[in-house]
Amino acid sequence: MSPLTRWLAPRTVVRAHCDLPCGIYDPEQARIEAESTYKIIEKMGANSDPAFTTRAIQIKEERAELVKHHLDVLWHDYFKPEHLEKVPNLHDLFWQATKQASKVKASTEIADAKKLLDMIDEIDAAWKLTGGEEKTRVAGRPA
Amino acid sequence: MPPSRRVRRSWREAAGRILGSWRVAVAEGSMLPTIAPGDWLLVDPTTRTWPRRGSVVVVREPDTAVLSLKRVVAGPGDTVPFAEGWLRLADDEAWLGADASVETAAAAGFGAPRDSRRYGPVPLDLLVARAWFRYVPWHRLGRLRRRQAVPNRGPVGPGRPAAPRLRR
Repeated sequence: MSPLTRWLAPRTVVRAHCDLPCGIYDPEQARIEAESTYKIIEKMGANSDPAFTTRAIQIKEERAELVKHHLDVLWHDYFKPEHLEKVPNLHDLFWQATKQASKVKASTEIADAKKLLDMIDEIDAAWKLTGGEEKTRVAGRPA
Repeated sequence: MPPSRRVRRSWREAAGRILGSWRVAVAEGSMLPTIAPGDWLLVDPTTRTWPRRGSVVVVREPDTAVLSLKRVVAGPGDTVPFAEGWLRLADDEAWLGADASVETAAAAGFGAPRDSRRYGPVPLDLLVARAWFRYVPWHRLGRLRRRQAVPNRGPVGPGRPAAPRLRR
């Protein structure tokens, strides 16, 4: 880069913002993190070692946060206004599920984690109903 | 005021606008074909109100806070198509649009453009600057022209209702 070019070069980047081009959106990503929280709570019940409990709680909170993140991406980026016709309660599904993920983050009740899994399955059904499986999966995986 | 002073002052204004402008580099392709990724632009950060319809602006994107380049499709008081009906913009809001269609963006290797169809009307607080000049690449050097953009309901395909006429 010549000195002149360097002098003229911008310091700031502005984005003509687009979605990521991969187009892969899958509730399974949130589901796997939610399964982690479920199993961690299960294992905490079987182990009273305080060091284990500390680690388990920390990891459970991380995973619950990831559930929220993956659900948010699915909600903002995969679902489009026209999908609301097929799934009228879509926004409520996501609102309730992300709230439940927050609850699991704080809770050590296995029932809370189970409820979160069920809610993600409902979102999964909505995703399948709108053709997510055909549109966003590569070679049908995960099956 | 004698003509010589008027001339001198307009020169000073022009110089201030150039020296006070920020240089920005464009990334991503939602403003194709008018503005391509890799273009270098001058933007005027002294802008305090939404520029006229068709201008290109730099805003903080409402849902992500990234600096984003978009075109003003409709301004305060305008009506834009929204969900099943219409939305009247508040006194401090604008409706921003991308120049690229989903197909144009996809052809350049980008996903769907993100604009007001995604994040809704944008409040004035998030306006950062007005983009007015491109200085790189040299062969496309020049002012960024205003361009009438038509608000629409987003990538829903045929059968979308016609947009209302905007007050000019």
